[in-house]
Amino acid sequence: MLLQAEAIKSVPGSAHGVQPVIAVDHLHKAYGSTVAVDDISFTVNPGEIFGILGRNGAGKTTTVECVTGLRRPDRGTISVLGLDPRRDRRELHERVGVQLQQSALQDRIRVAEAVELYASFYERPADGRELLATLGLEGSRDHYFAKLSGGQKQRLSIVLALIGQPEIAVLDELTTGLDPEARRETWSLIEGIRDRGVTIVLVTHYMEEAERLCDRVALIDHGKVTALDHPAALGVRSNTSKRVRLTAPEGLDDGLLWALPEVSGVEHHGQDVVVIGSGDLLTAVILAFDRAGLRASDVRPETANLEDAFLALIDEPTQSTPTQMETKR
Amino acid sequence: MTSLAIQLSPRRRRAFGLLVRTEITLALRRPVGIIVALGIPFLLLVVFGSIPSTMRASAAFGGISFFTLYVPTLLVFVLLAVGIGTLPQTLATYRQQGVLRRMSTTPVPPSWLLAAQMTINVILAALSITILVGLGALAFGLELPSSVGGWLVTLLSLVLTIAATLGLGLCAAALAPTPQIAGAIQALLFYPLAFLSGLYVPLQEIHSSALSDIAKVVPTGAGVNALHASFLGQSPGVEPLLVLAGWAIVFSLAAARLFRWE
Repeated sequence: MLLQAEAIKSVPGSAHGVQPVIAVDHLHKAYGSTVAVDDISFTVNPGEIFGILGRNGAGKTTTVECVTGLRRPDRGTISVLGLDPRRDRRELHERVGVQLQQSALQDRIRVAEAVELYASFYERPADGRELLATLGLEGSRDHYFAKLSGGQKQRLSIVLALIGQPEIAVLDELTTGLDPEARRETWSLIEGIRDRGVTIVLVTHYMEEAERLCDRVALIDHGKVTALDHPAALGVRSNTSKRVRLTAPEGLDDGLLWALPEVSGVEHHGQDVVVIGSGDLLTAVILAFDRAGLRASDVRPETANLEDAFLALIDEPTQSTPTQMETKR
Repeated sequence: MTSLAIQLSPRRRRAFGLLVRTEITLALRRPVGIIVALGIPFLLLVVFGSIPSTMRASAAFGGISFFTLYVPTLLVFVLLAVGIGTLPQTLATYRQQGVLRRMSTTPVPPSWLLAAQMTINVILAALSITILVGLGALAFGLELPSSVGGWLVTLLSLVLTIAATLGLGLCAAALAPTPQIAGAIQALLFYPLAFLSGLYVPLQEIHSSALSDIAKVVPTGAGVNALHASFLGQSPGVEPLLVLAGWAIVFSLAAARLFRWE
């Protein structure tokens, strides 16, 4: 389901004959002595949802700020729709819709007023009324920005990112702070935008979000791209860090778990045991307990949350240079 | 900014017009700034205009009435109010909340929002001053400049004063890291500068040479001195006008250098 064949443009770089809409080449950006982006390169193909995934402070926002012309890179080149983001800033902003973190509207501006105002900024604005309806804000037209819920604010920011009929939409941490239901709604909206033919750069720190939406994902850590692939391919790799947590039954012998081919580690946390491994770990553990006549209670898989997936993925490149990693934190 | 407006395409001019209209709407929804710049001086004018003793010519004021003396102070109060009454806090809030950052990703840069804020404050000042002068002349017998030259000098004094107060407001907005600090700076600047415009005690009543000297070199004192002379049909001399122009230039350059968008 995740791997819609037609959605996959290339593995993992650009496909033959497809001109990328964004090309970032050896981007560097430091703030004083803090290196935020350390030699990042990637390309984004037309029509795809490209994910930039990483922890807070990994360098994601700085990267998109450089791509959208808000910051001047220290080194490296960026081309967006053939434009230089700094030099051709105004044209870039006509053609690239951007929703950034830590940005907002005036407290007492009404939704409809904000949409009309932002529409006036562009050469060929979209129909604001229709966009509001598409994003389920028709009933909030007269509400003040400050009175909107978190989900409504995010949906309005999508409306404003799309009001100029952009060819590319850059959406930064769109679902952070939303409840799960609002997050899932936002996901379908993003898929809807892609279906209109808009290329999407999605910045997120949710693994699940990247898996669900993105055609390709660049994992960023400490200002570097540590992996760039289809989310499914990344998922396989992160499976090495699958974890199952359960309350240890009486008389549990760790040897029982270690004997399983799927298991690569066993940890004790008070009453709890955490089994680390790969493959169908959960089934393997339950069956092994059953065979041994033990009753495991409160078994719960700790699914690939980002931290785990990340650690598995970023361990490889950073292990060789641990000192470098420390100095950058 | 005027050169900018001339270069604009009709579509961009429309965008700026809509931005100004939106900021006016927002100001009306939270009318503190309008009350301070329009309501308070209007009330003071009506109150003092209605007290017979303030309307009589007084030897203490060189043969003119307290009312005649007080109108320039009220006009400068209006210009002070639009410059540092609410502008620094509004801009600091826009910066802190990310309103400026939001605009920086559109084809219209956030400097336009600053320009729109300045525009609505100039409009507010023009409206308030027109009302004060008009009502003063029609209802309370305020004597207006009798020559074209007098009007021109009055207008020049007003323009230089508002350039200085708006510049000061922008500097305060540039220096304040948060809206709260911007609010504190507003209050710290407002009361001393209002005092030195003669709002509480007429400048002519201040029998301290040190204070008079200070009043001559601060924007509000210089503004009142220039307006006072030009209303009476006298030449204000170059000094107050130069003081005002100097402040306008210094504040504008400093604000342009110090202002941060996020």
